[in-house]
Amino acid sequence: MRRTGGIFGGRRNLIFSGLMLVLLFIFLLDLFVVDRIFEPFTYFYLFFAPLIIFYGVYPLYANRRLTRYYWDRTKRHRLAVIGLGFIIFLVAVAILGPFLTQDPTQVDFKNKNLPPVGFSSEQSIFDRNTGQLITTETQGTWRHPFGTDDKGRDLLAMLVSGTRISLQIGLMATLIAIFIGLIIGVVSAYLGGWVDNALMRFTDIMMTFPFFLLLVLIVFLYGSSLWFIILVIGLTGWTGTARLVRSETLSLRTRDFIMASKSLGASDRRIVFRHLIPNVMSLVIVIATLSIPGVILAEAALSFIGLGDPTVTSWGLVLHAGQRSLDTAWWIAVEPGIMLFLTVLAFNFLGDGIRDAFDPRSQI
Amino acid sequence: MKRGGLQNYIIRRLLYAFLIAFGVVTITFILLRIGPSSPADKYLANMSARTQDPAKVIAAVEARYGLDKPIYEQYFNYLVNLARGDWGWSFSTSLPVIELIKRHWIYSFQLILLSMLFASSLGLLIGIYSAVKQYTKVDYIATLFSFTGISIPNFWLGIMLIMVFSVWLGWFKTYYDTGLPVFSLANLKALILPVITLGTGMMAGHTRYARSATLDNLRKDFVKTARAKGLPEYIVIGKHVLRNAILPIITIIMFDMAGVVFGGAYLTEIIFGIPGLGQISFNAIFANDYPVVITITLIGAMVVLLTNLATDIVYTWLDPRIRYD
Repeated sequence: MRRTGGIFGGRRNLIFSGLMLVLLFIFLLDLFVVDRIFEPFTYFYLFFAPLIIFYGVYPLYANRRLTRYYWDRTKRHRLAVIGLGFIIFLVAVAILGPFLTQDPTQVDFKNKNLPPVGFSSEQSIFDRNTGQLITTETQGTWRHPFGTDDKGRDLLAMLVSGTRISLQIGLMATLIAIFIGLIIGVVSAYLGGWVDNALMRFTDIMMTFPFFLLLVLIVFLYGSSLWFIILVIGLTGWTGTARLVRSETLSLRTRDFIMASKSLGASDRRIVFRHLIPNVMSLVIVIATLSIPGVILAEAALSFIGLGDPTVTSWGLVLHAGQRSLDTAWWIAVEPGIMLFLTVLAFNFLGDGIRDAFDPRSQI
Repeated sequence: MKRGGLQNYIIRRLLYAFLIAFGVVTITFILLRIGPSSPADKYLANMSARTQDPAKVIAAVEARYGLDKPIYEQYFNYLVNLARGDWGWSFSTSLPVIELIKRHWIYSFQLILLSMLFASSLGLLIGIYSAVKQYTKVDYIATLFSFTGISIPNFWLGIMLIMVFSVWLGWFKTYYDTGLPVFSLANLKALILPVITLGTGMMAGHTRYARSATLDNLRKDFVKTARAKGLPEYIVIGKHVLRNAILPIITIIMFDMAGVVFGGAYLTEIIFGIPGLGQISFNAIFANDYPVVITITLIGAMVVLLTNLATDIVYTWLDPRIRYD
């Protein structure tokens, strides 16, 4: 790899470590002295955003030729581009949407079970004066383009809120899982011996756990806040990454360029950070893209069985509510499912395209 | 190959599986027993218990089942009992755990078996056919279909099927009738929707793997040779391509079987109200019935470990080039 001076003047690691030390200091201050400087989410972003910018975006920027090559190869997959487009749309919805829609928790019993625009549905209303059931025809209105649920909450607003939650969970849990998997994989392969043995036996144990059962168990016993769910999915989902990274590192270790830098007297740290990790990164990016849908689905399934965070409106929660009124208001169950399906589909398209683009053996 | 080599390999793998299972039991036990609630809590909901002092009731129940001892002692006792073949006592159903499993495993088994049959037979057919017809319309439709199947959340698919076929059309019951005898024709009808729910994702996966495995082998030289010899196409595909493609396909089917037992089958059982292992383990988690939860986790882990081992053994049988010694 070419050494890049660039905008950091070759002191990238130094600047990054400095930033991390400042963050650690604030965190310790938060923990022991002052209460709640930042939310947990903010810490998460403050840790991973610089990490991605310094070691993900910046090398791509510095190495424009390679970036162009990857992009050209990804672009040839039409489905991958469509997937990427949809994901960008979702991100925009997640960031801007909550400012444009109504409050997703606003209850309005007068307008409950309104169908989406262009649909109509029959509703039976109990008339207090006559004591009879009156069947009325309800039309969807533009005020609630996606309809309302059984408490009169606006479904569009709920879905927009769900987009934000799902993307947050997908991104965060995957980053945590990938981070742990990368460290365990590289350490295990590079150190070998009893460290490798112990780490891989532990990975095997984690792998044989019935994943969803474990998730339900932990979330039920130890709390179901969104933050905790993300952490649990991240802390249990790293096994696949660790295995793949380990085997990739093992095969890299015997390659000539590693041997060459070793015989030139490079330190372990240099080999790991300058040669091993950059070379497994493409694999890691592919795993990350392909594991985001699984994470999103896991959270949706948790919310669906009633174990999600009850304070946030996620797609799974809407689906959970919709299941009760399948016969009276079908759209409540249909809409979040379609969003979930399209999101997972988009990530699968993109992941497939990236995998082919980053795999030098594949011919598109 | 030498028989002894394979035997030693199997013994080593079984010992290892045993070790992993031990780890799984330990972690589950710790997670459950250091948790904030106790299996004795359910006795508080009991009417007769409510008139007494709740702390006393809990203490009495905990003393009866040995839950008041230190955790390491409970853990040790549990392991000793497990080694003796005593799987413990289910607090929430007041049955021995083994009895509970015996009553319910068949429901999970028939659901998973039928789904596997459905998914692998259709998946393989579509996958192989679409590989043979690569770059035709059939192939594109099959690819799009498999992407759809992989991406569709199976619990949502289940709800949609219930909505359309049970609520609107009224063809099926919205709930699984537990009175039906297992493996009967009436039961088969009741299982159609659950099997589609559980099987669609798997089928899509099998389609993709079958397609790529077949394509890999279609490009090989021996296929050209076979064609050059003038063999009819069905023999080229059936005898030369498929024989080589079957190995990766078997892997994914076995892998799915292990994964599905405690993945999708869970949610499917919950949605359709099928009283299988998934359903009872959920109830057990909510009741903090830890012997049941540990047992089912252990069963799940053992299924994964044993299918992995079985896959490796099937390999040596399907492909004599593979050896483990």
